[in-house]
Amino acid sequence: MIALDCDDHFATWRDQARVLLGHGIDPVEVNWGQGPIQDLLAMPGALPQGAGPFKARVPAELLGQLQLAGRYRGEQRWNLLYEVLWRVAHGDRTAMLAGDRLGSELQRRIKQVTREAHHLHAFVRFVPLPPALAERLQLDLVAFHEPAHDILESASGHFAERLGRQRWLIATSRDGIRYDGAQFDYRRQCPEAWRQWARQADDPDAELWLTYYRHTFNPARVNPDALRLHMPGRFWRHLPEGPLIPRLVGLARQGKQRDGQAQEVAEQGGKTIRPADSSARRQRQ
Amino acid sequence: MQLIAKLGILADAAKYDASCASSGAPKRSSKGRDGLGATNGMGICHSYTPDGRCVSLLKVLLTNFCLYDCQYCVNRRSSNVPRARFSPEEVVRLTLDFYRRNCISGLFLSSGIIRSADYTMEQLVRVARLLREEHDFRGYIHLKTIPDADPLLIEEAGRLADRLSVNIELPSDASLRRLAPEKQLGTIRQAMGTIHRGQQAVAGEARAPRFTPAGQSTQMIVGADASDDRTILRNAESLYQGYGLKRVYYSAFSPIPDSPDSVPLAAPPLLREHRLYQADFLMRGYGYKAGELLGEVGNLALDIDPKLAWALSNREVFPVDINRAEPALLARVPGIGLRSVQRLVALRRERRVRYDDLIQLRCVLDKARPFIVTSDYRPALAEVRSGLLRARMREPQAPVQMGLWG
Repeated sequence: MIALDCDDHFATWRDQARVLLGHGIDPVEVNWGQGPIQDLLAMPGALPQGAGPFKARVPAELLGQLQLAGRYRGEQRWNLLYEVLWRVAHGDRTAMLAGDRLGSELQRRIKQVTREAHHLHAFVRFVPLPPALAERLQLDLVAFHEPAHDILESASGHFAERLGRQRWLIATSRDGIRYDGAQFDYRRQCPEAWRQWARQADDPDAELWLTYYRHTFNPARVNPDALRLHMPGRFWRHLPEGPLIPRLVGLARQGKQRDGQAQEVAEQGGKTIRPADSSARRQRQ
Repeated sequence: MQLIAKLGILADAAKYDASCASSGAPKRSSKGRDGLGATNGMGICHSYTPDGRCVSLLKVLLTNFCLYDCQYCVNRRSSNVPRARFSPEEVVRLTLDFYRRNCISGLFLSSGIIRSADYTMEQLVRVARLLREEHDFRGYIHLKTIPDADPLLIEEAGRLADRLSVNIELPSDASLRRLAPEKQLGTIRQAMGTIHRGQQAVAGEARAPRFTPAGQSTQMIVGADASDDRTILRNAESLYQGYGLKRVYYSAFSPIPDSPDSVPLAAPPLLREHRLYQADFLMRGYGYKAGELLGEVGNLALDIDPKLAWALSNREVFPVDINRAEPALLARVPGIGLRSVQRLVALRRERRVRYDDLIQLRCVLDKARPFIVTSDYRPALAEVRSGLLRARMREPQAPVQMGLWG
């Protein structure tokens, strides 16, 4: 058994896998360790020297797919990729197709990772810093987010496209990324200061968005299951509107409202408009 | 009135428009440039409200003062609702603030009719112009088009916005006359035609200025009048063909406060709306015709989806051999979607497809089973009558909530 560690770096894993494949080492003979819990039976054997005699040829798109799936945090993270690579290199292309048991798991991981990048683009919430602090920290916007897979570095370029010359940072409980309007600064270990700026940012204008959220909701159509399906509960605590959700569902469920209007609006005085004002109507007739 | 109070009223007034899509815009980026905003064709849902609907855009009215008296509309002039009006600058400020926070991907702006159709349309265009030209905003903009406005104004809107929409409102001309006396089918269709011609004028010209690159859409209210699904889907089909619409949205009529007697005060028919969307998707994505989906009946079945309903009434086509059938026919098997079709075609190039492969592909086998043949499977149910199959496959119906709506 060969025990390996790639420090969750795809490039390191790729170099290791290339050597193993070249020497014809079967996937059951290798184990990539994850964290402190090692396989008790694995006697650390060494990676063979040199490229090895077997010249593997694999389709170009496989490497891209392996790289994507490598961002998945979970069991057998790197072992699975080597098994796919092994089978495809030995002529069994079904290992990368969704119809196969292994290929189906590979594709599922790719889908989860892609979905998590999309969650980042959707659910990151930036807080604008007040001008004096922005000047001192050289930062306009800060956010805290908790991705389930290692997508922060690869998926954050999106925000440079959206935000132009604005300077921003996204902190997570693991890594962090900062953009100064021109360059990215990615850290595998998020500096503690970044995390504090992101989590403790004051936000005097937060109420505008909450007001919008309350009022664009139609209580006559209440359907919390659909909400949970698209926006899993784990994101709620980092979203400013998250705490509103149970209360809005509760109000709508109590049946106080038979129509779509928010209570705050219903409580205000109304105003009808006299048809005599209707010059547009006259024009039409 | 404070900005936040206006926002409450004008977001509440705008929520009955179903569309919140931000997809289909061309690739734009602000990287390293002044201004704000990017689009890449993919829409983003930045949040979901407890009604399960996506929040992608800031969806507000410029004003809910309105001279029209459309019976189904909460903002009709005879409705007793609080009224407010944004200045164009206020809408710009809200859009940019929410965008910077990553709460939205753009703006969907509509308005009640004030003074005249032209004046109202000018105000909408002014907001889009401020965003695009003063603030270099490259995010998504969807403008509601006022049907009676001058075609020149509509064209101007089309050069600034990613999407324009004119609401068809109701499925038939008779209902429109009865419930929206100031609106006319003729002018609604004329406005759609103006937008369609604007799109055609730049189609295929790479250097021409963009014109509504994310296309045109419309909305039809379902359940405010007595029109059946056949009328609704035939109408939608003619709009897709006649004006190259990207989307027809179906909006289950939500009861409104202070409701006039001419419209129902009942819970919105959400399941019917869902079936209409499914049927619409089958027309756009799978090549079904409205006539095929409805056959002899006037309304879509509520207890089974329209694809299964079609398969059950066309048993002579089935069972389909997964290893041989044309992709277009595979896509007509209930429980097998377009993506699964692609994957099955890729897989059968490598080897014969077996029943277990369909499980791995996460096809919905409870639906597909009676309609397919694989290298190791033939349906025992192939001879079972459609009526019996349907009884087995119908979806459980939620009981009517008398307590809430009775």
